[in-house]
Amino acid sequence: MSRARGVRPFTALLLAGGALLAGGVPAAADAGEGDGTGDAPTEAGTTFRTATVIGQGTSATASASTGDYLYWTFPVAAGQTATAEATVTLPDTAPRSGPATWQLDVYDGLRRRQPCTEGPQTVRAEQDAASVSLSCTLPTVRPWAEPWSDAPLPGGYYLRLTVTELPERDLGLPVTVEARATAEEAGGSAAYGGALADPLLPVGAAGVLAGDTADTGDTGDTGDTAEDGAADTDPYLAALPEPDGGWGGGWWTDRWLWTTAGGVLGALAGLGGFRLVRGPRARREA
Amino acid sequence: MILRKWTAVGLSGLFVALAAGLLTTSAVADEPAQDAPPPRVDLVLDVSGSMAERDMRDGRSRMAAAQQAFEEVIDAVPDEVHLGIRTLGATYPGDDIEIGCQDSEQLYPVGPVDRTEAKTAVATLRPTGWTPIGLALRGADQDLGDGDGTRRIVLITDGEDSCGQPDPCDVARELAASGTHLVVDTLGLTLDDAVREQLSCIAEATGGTYTAVQDTDQLSDRLKQLVRRADQPVENPTAVQGAPGCQDAPSLGVGVYTDRQEFGEHRWYRVPVAPGQELRATVSVAADRAVNPDHGVLLRAVDEGGQELVRGTGAGTGRTDVVSTGLRLPVPEDEDDTGDGDTGDAGDAGDEVRIICLDVGSSFSAPDAVQRTPGLPVELTVDVVGGPDDPSDVAAFGLARGWVPLVLLTGTGLLAGLLLGLFVRLGVVMGRSS
Repeated sequence: MSRARGVRPFTALLLAGGALLAGGVPAAADAGEGDGTGDAPTEAGTTFRTATVIGQGTSATASASTGDYLYWTFPVAAGQTATAEATVTLPDTAPRSGPATWQLDVYDGLRRRQPCTEGPQTVRAEQDAASVSLSCTLPTVRPWAEPWSDAPLPGGYYLRLTVTELPERDLGLPVTVEARATAEEAGGSAAYGGALADPLLPVGAAGVLAGDTADTGDTGDTGDTAEDGAADTDPYLAALPEPDGGWGGGWWTDRWLWTTAGGVLGALAGLGGFRLVRGPRARREA
Repeated sequence: MILRKWTAVGLSGLFVALAAGLLTTSAVADEPAQDAPPPRVDLVLDVSGSMAERDMRDGRSRMAAAQQAFEEVIDAVPDEVHLGIRTLGATYPGDDIEIGCQDSEQLYPVGPVDRTEAKTAVATLRPTGWTPIGLALRGADQDLGDGDGTRRIVLITDGEDSCGQPDPCDVARELAASGTHLVVDTLGLTLDDAVREQLSCIAEATGGTYTAVQDTDQLSDRLKQLVRRADQPVENPTAVQGAPGCQDAPSLGVGVYTDRQEFGEHRWYRVPVAPGQELRATVSVAADRAVNPDHGVLLRAVDEGGQELVRGTGAGTGRTDVVSTGLRLPVPEDEDDTGDGDTGDAGDAGDEVRIICLDVGSSFSAPDAVQRTPGLPVELTVDVVGGPDDPSDVAAFGLARGWVPLVLLTGTGLLAGLLLGLFVRLGVVMGRSS
């Protein structure tokens, strides 16, 4: 009897822990609700450096000319699977002379082109097509990767939309474009370990030619001075909204549940096995 | 009883997992406030004789459309933008090519806009003379003046250059290469093939855009958009000239740089990085002229001994504005130093800044007829972030997931329970027997 009592506080503790986990996380999820910034951008950038910032879930529109290269940038955190979508509305009033091929490319914060796991990334618009829809789903972003791998990392991502093939005569005709980036949590199966020192954010400040000696003086004394200096003069292009739970994707993953459940099942199985083998006589005696 | 409680907890856990999975993210953007030099835009309007033609979709003449669009733009121009107007072919109606091709003048100087004055100036224009586009571009570049801040020219014309020399496309490329960050956007008021070719060539050479205009509304909307675009707070990159080898290469700090690179040329740069920091570099090589469809770029980080540390590659095919790639290189803390940093020597060595050499190469090629100089524009960004990265376990926090670890843990628990029970039972039996 005394043994059985000894077990109960332990399970109670586990239960309380489970309840705490269960109670804590939905609150975080509530705080995370909301869809992007209030104002949707109505312009698109024309280079990496002038890319328009769009939050996750925000639709950005732009009017442009056929042949323009249009850029947007959006944040993606670790553990998210991002999808970039674009719809090009081709004017029916303009006399188009043939089919055109539109393409949507996604680049990471280091301007490395990323593969699409889904999508039509490249679509051919027939001469009389009214609109073209493109989309590109990225591989799930990892919190960390080897420096020599091209795996997607948390930070800014660029969406580039352009026409890649067209009859020369159709260059410069007006189009309107809608772009959108969404991200889904990929769940525990994609919860990887590790963390980057900083997300990959696009640099926008004009460069400062560093004399070797000057820089040694700055960074040479302590490692911290260089860090502080970088933080003071933020060299980054635009304020990319940080995803909820931070760039690293936060601490929560369903792996906690799986592992806890494993521990609990192990403990229960241990208890069961113990009772089974010890036999009914021992209990009566106690 | 206990089991039932646990299913309840398991269910709530599942609920939690679902909730976490559906977690959406919100965005809070905060604009950086900074004092920048005023953005400058020069509108260059063709006032040649052909502008009198009435072929806009709304039945107006090209000139009338342009004049109305200019009025709207002058009304809409943001206060901080300095706007100027230059004309070409506005004064000389004669046939002498010598005089006609020198006909480009500043109608309104680049500066804060007096809306009435500017509108009056535009209203007086009548279609008159020749189309010296190259000359007008040079003039507009001078109108904009030097210095930091955005510099844009918007060229509105209905005809190709009627003067031949200088070739406007070469002029545009030369101006863009002069390190003044000039962008030329072009608007063609006709769908003529030669005009389109020339204007898109000018736009491509400077990283601008080409638009074929067919009615007044489209013209004024596009003009307003281009003027607004100049108002974006974008810093101009620092011009730098990479060396053919790492030894004499310029040393770069954090920021954006531009350079020019000829076909097949390699350019080297040096970046000092302290141990424990991470170097991040990106490079974009722009195709500012007609190039062959297959292209690539290679960025290598090499140590001073010539050993390659990491590389980034980018390649593409077809029509493109840039081909780009990037790399990241965490420079680890010196192991020896942190291990046994008693000696003064080792301490110094650990703090020593390492020089990382960046080698930029691209594999653009072009038909023989294409000009080779100036080289292709290269944009290089360098970032050095503090703190080395943290590789950790492959799984998040080393946690397990899936049925196999569940079964394994249960099995282990069961085995442990059985063994413990067995020992207790044996102990009881032995205790009783003794």
